[in-house]
Amino acid sequence: MKGFRTIGCPGRLTLLGCALLGALASPAYSATLTVMQNEAPRSMDPGNQTATFTATVLDPMYEGLLKMSPALKLEPALATSWSSDASGLVWTFTLRSGVTFHDGTPFNADAVVSNFARHLDVKRGLAASGRLRTFIDSVTKVDDRTVVFKLKKPYPAFLNLLTTGACLMVSPTADKAGTLDSKAVGTGPYKMVQYKTGEYVLEEKNPGYWGKSDGPEDIKWTWSSESSVMNMALQAGEADVINPVPPQFARMLKNNPKFVLHESPGASVFWVALNTQLKPLDDVRVRQALNFATDRDGLVRAIMSGFATPANSPLAPITPGYDKSLNPYPLNIEKAKALLKEAGYANGFSMSIAVQGADARIGQVLQSMWAKIGVKLDVRQMESGVWTKAAFADPAGKKADGTGAILASWSSGVSGADLQLRPLYYSGSFAPTGANLGFFSDAKLDKLLDTAASTLDENARNQLYVQAQQEINLQAPQVLLYYQNDLYATGANISNVWMIPGGNVIVKDAHKQ
Amino acid sequence: MKAYLAKKLLAFPVILIGVSLLIFVSIRALPGDPARMMAGPEATQEAVDHMRTRLGLDLPLVTQYAHFARDVLHGNLGLSLQSQQPVTQEIGERLPYTLALAVLAYFLAIVIGVPAGMMGAIYRNRWPDYGVMLLAIAGASVANFWLGLMAMNTFSVELGWLPLLGASSWKSYILPSVTLAVLPMAVMARMTRSSMLDVLSEDYIRTARAKGLSAMSIYCSHAFRNALIPIVTIVALNFGSLVGGAVVTESVFNWPGIGRLLVDSVRYRDYPVIQGVALVAVCGVVLMNLLGELLIALLNPKIRFE
Repeated sequence: MKGFRTIGCPGRLTLLGCALLGALASPAYSATLTVMQNEAPRSMDPGNQTATFTATVLDPMYEGLLKMSPALKLEPALATSWSSDASGLVWTFTLRSGVTFHDGTPFNADAVVSNFARHLDVKRGLAASGRLRTFIDSVTKVDDRTVVFKLKKPYPAFLNLLTTGACLMVSPTADKAGTLDSKAVGTGPYKMVQYKTGEYVLEEKNPGYWGKSDGPEDIKWTWSSESSVMNMALQAGEADVINPVPPQFARMLKNNPKFVLHESPGASVFWVALNTQLKPLDDVRVRQALNFATDRDGLVRAIMSGFATPANSPLAPITPGYDKSLNPYPLNIEKAKALLKEAGYANGFSMSIAVQGADARIGQVLQSMWAKIGVKLDVRQMESGVWTKAAFADPAGKKADGTGAILASWSSGVSGADLQLRPLYYSGSFAPTGANLGFFSDAKLDKLLDTAASTLDENARNQLYVQAQQEINLQAPQVLLYYQNDLYATGANISNVWMIPGGNVIVKDAHKQ
Repeated sequence: MKAYLAKKLLAFPVILIGVSLLIFVSIRALPGDPARMMAGPEATQEAVDHMRTRLGLDLPLVTQYAHFARDVLHGNLGLSLQSQQPVTQEIGERLPYTLALAVLAYFLAIVIGVPAGMMGAIYRNRWPDYGVMLLAIAGASVANFWLGLMAMNTFSVELGWLPLLGASSWKSYILPSVTLAVLPMAVMARMTRSSMLDVLSEDYIRTARAKGLSAMSIYCSHAFRNALIPIVTIVALNFGSLVGGAVVTESVFNWPGIGRLLVDSVRYRDYPVIQGVALVAVCGVVLMNLLGELLIALLNPKIRFE
């Protein structure tokens, strides 16, 4: 019986392992709101990351000088009032008094100056600094409660930007210690208890919070890249909120009284960037033909189960300046064929599209739609890192790879048209430094964008953006697909959760019954 | 035996150097630029370059490897690009969870798979044999991933018996360890069966029967002991595929082990973590193989005296 004794040994190890892990396992929390998202947070420093599903995790812990209300209006947060001079270049902010960071560091003018200094310092190389550096000239202290921002140029989205990302105030002490990536220290109504990478982020109420806060005792963030697992977690009661909800599960959740599906117009535009430097896509007629051959309604039904809106403009409907009257490319196969014929491609042509794994189906649907006008689409499915490299390749790199098109999405939230159009269509934004993936260059559009960006009157600015949308649609450097609706779901016992368009779920005031 | 042990142990560092080089090179060959990914799609080229310098990725590959090897020898696997925590700490926190899962899964695989295989051999070509083999083929063919999702839906969502995700209580161990155990269980059942069948046709078994020994004594002490060598080999060699299975299982069950850590770090091109996890996993596999060889040597004097 010696053999059995040998193989019985691992059993004892198991018991030991269980006992050890039982002791390590986290205690159960009451009144904890659990939120599950589809990706892990990238950093606990809002200035060192740009991902939406990390911003949501950081939101309860950090605040900016201003904040966005549920009605999407700007409200005072760490600044109590602000004003600008007539040029729109000099802004003065009065800061809230009696606020401290979670580590006890006082919030004052020095803290604000040091927060922006770390972004303006090129050597720091923080991930979210880029945008601020393009327009902020300096931030200076006047007295303990007053700071002045000097801008390089008028920047309409300035106040909006102060509510998010790089403009959220971090403790200068923690920044100096270099611990922010793993330990969040802000001024928000929640402070970080624990960040177990790969497991969860746990936040608890900040007893020293300056304002009112009536959210849950704790907020626990978890994540899974498997959408079916997120769905099961909600059903099994292990998650109170899941964000985002993939369209294939949306209808089922909508019909189940135990859950509430929240659907709102989103900020993400899905489109196919066409490489305007590669033959035959350098011919505007060919690009227009692809647009006429795309059945956007069919795509929304097939891919998004109807939880999206066909796109008619490079701006999302929630972006100021969006023109809903545009309808440049209704489905028209005959017209598409005529345009191809005119361009000398009566028998069609072959081209490739780079798509991320999750979007492969969109590529396949386009493949069958465009086959009707003789276009043979080679769908190149890629893992996200590989896709990023292919999508952001420079003109020579894309030519070498024969990359004709890239399926991409972009969301600038409610921060304004410039942040959507400039990175994607401005001639100075060619990949790899910008996100003009198809190398579109149009002098008329550049001028429109530059003029609009320095026009402070909102109506006049929006008029310019309408012209910009028309110009982009006409030149068709892309095939617009759809605007993804923001979808998140909660248990029926959860209330007071809301969303800033673009997937930013706000849970810090949630009520759990 | 001492010489045998010394020979095996001496080969260990050589294998590790080879393996570390292989890991280092293959990770660098992954497409995708970690500096760009860390800096974000909106970052300027300048910011990306700074990030590259900060990460030490602008140095020549040979220098990078020299630094890596030197640090590994000092027990330093570097800092995670993502969390800025030491990789050894990240792995140290997660390793017990993966080990617990692996040990549980192996335990289940052995206590169920081996007797099932023996039963198949004893009742050869009768219904217990067909039943065991049918289950073994199903177990060896089913995708870990699918099985995990089905088990979660049944036992957590529908029946509500077991927790769905994470490692919060002892009940959390049941679904992932069973899911992970299915493949090695099936392999062991099949291996035990065929190995037992080989032994049962040997002359000494006929002699034992002729002597009038009880069936229990024949199967357990005479046949099983001799059938053990291929089984132990399979147990040891299968540890590699168990590690592979753990990557998938941990991802599905949100298990806080090194498998999930690996998946997350590949997504963000967190080189130091990928390297660290791969190194630890390979060491584990090499150690298990070594242990297997030693066990076989113990079981079979012929091998250790060769």
